[in-house]
Amino acid sequence: MAVETCGLTKRYGDYLAVDSVSMRVPERAIYGFLGRNGAGKSTTLRLLMGLMRPDAGTVHIAGVDVARDRVRASRNFGALLEAHGFYGHLSGRENLELTRRLLDLPAWEVARVLDVTEMTVHSDKCVSDYSLGMRQRLGLARALLGSPAILILDEPTNGLDAEGIEDMRRFVRELPDRSGSTVLISSHQLDEIDRVATHVGILCQGRLVVEGSVEELKAGSSAEVVVETASPARAIAIAREHGFDVMPEGDLLVARFQAREDLRSAASALNRLLCVAGGIHVHSLVPRERSLEAIYRNAPSMAN
Amino acid sequence: MAPSPKSRFSTALAVETYKLRRSMALLLAMICPALVAGFAFFHQLRLGKSASWDMMLTSSAAIWSFFMLPMSVTALTALMAHTEHGPRAWDHLRSLPRPRWHVHLAKATCVLGLLVSMSVLLAALTSLAVLVAGWWEPTAAATGSPDYAKYLALLGKIFASSWLLVAVQLWVALRFSSFVPALAVGICGTFFAVVATSARIGLVMPWQIPVNQLAADPARAQLALGIGFVGGGVVLAMMLFALSRREILD
Repeated sequence: MAVETCGLTKRYGDYLAVDSVSMRVPERAIYGFLGRNGAGKSTTLRLLMGLMRPDAGTVHIAGVDVARDRVRASRNFGALLEAHGFYGHLSGRENLELTRRLLDLPAWEVARVLDVTEMTVHSDKCVSDYSLGMRQRLGLARALLGSPAILILDEPTNGLDAEGIEDMRRFVRELPDRSGSTVLISSHQLDEIDRVATHVGILCQGRLVVEGSVEELKAGSSAEVVVETASPARAIAIAREHGFDVMPEGDLLVARFQAREDLRSAASALNRLLCVAGGIHVHSLVPRERSLEAIYRNAPSMAN
Repeated sequence: MAPSPKSRFSTALAVETYKLRRSMALLLAMICPALVAGFAFFHQLRLGKSASWDMMLTSSAAIWSFFMLPMSVTALTALMAHTEHGPRAWDHLRSLPRPRWHVHLAKATCVLGLLVSMSVLLAALTSLAVLVAGWWEPTAAATGSPDYAKYLALLGKIFASSWLLVAVQLWVALRFSSFVPALAVGICGTFFAVVATSARIGLVMPWQIPVNQLAADPARAQLALGIGFVGGGVVLAMMLFALSRREILD
């Protein structure tokens, strides 16, 4: 495992910010770390990087226990943090030069990461004159110094324009194949994670409620059917009365079935029930793959 | 990741020095001694009569240690700390594979290094000011010859006795992200040092310890030097321990 935590817990006074989080980030994975604002993502990342001491639990980065040897553990990751921490009175190149020296890397490394992030042309300008997007790219360049085995990206598309977002996505997707890196992306934007991640962990109220490969999670053991009807409220009541697992979704209702293989027969049973027994006109009844969005939406109920 | 970083303190110090490029702290380090030298120049012209080199140099050291040094240290430490507080650079610095105390010790060493440079600059600019004032107004030319060894030794003692002042001010400046606590402590300290010039408590008051190097009583000067230098070393060590253990520096 590239990153592994066990029972990671952090309190701020009485407030439980991170509650027994046990996460496993496989090597060469793009792990999307999802959660709403205040879910505990930033605190978890700070614990992973050794910026905070956990109240309980352990963190292993590339097999190294962060609590025992933070310096050795931190040789394995580079991070793009939300607060970039660039010195505005220095140029982008000079800012990278500082980190390069602290990492004892060869001088050409700065030119390499500037080239990779297409920042060479702006590198001699003072960082105080940079746009947010340029700072974000420079932050990525700094995280890439020394080609770390694990890249921790905290909200990497913040401040980027549409083109920049697409470049960032492409860049992140290619990283595992290109340099063998593992990427841990924290975001509250589901769409962002859905487009790049191979694995996902969803944090809710400090607890990791969902974790696994995106493929497995989408496949899951359940399937859904979206039903469009003239009277959804009544349809929900009837369906629930007969033991169907249904939820409203806007003007629609979504029925979830545990056995994917019997989806067709289960859906037609629901159709018959609504039309015949309930006398409700069903406009459409369409099966759909369980989306990451549905998993994300259901996460709060799993936290309780 | 490529080569493993050698945890050399010298690298952290070199990086800290690199950050001074085009910084306000560097500008301040040049302006403060120049202000004292400028004052010495105009004071000599205003006197309109000659005074000895010894008196000129001693009075410049007195102004420096009495007022300008405490204020300079207050501003310098606040600016040096703000280099990290301003862009919220602590998380990045503290996530790097280096012992955290290196970062804080490098910062303290850099401040002390700047103070040495400021003392040398003060000596050079004051000498220049006295020479130019004498050339401008021959009746005000300094008499005798300058005893630079004695003057530099005095500035050296003032510097050594200011370690406690540096340690206290730097600790406050690094601990709080706002300028306000550091400036408030520095201004209050300097104010009480000025209004209680001859008080016994001045011996242990960080902002007044340096000016005690000009005391007529050599024992008092020696004691102040010991308290300032050793006390500064102890407080700096405590600062390194406390700040390295802190989880959040903002």
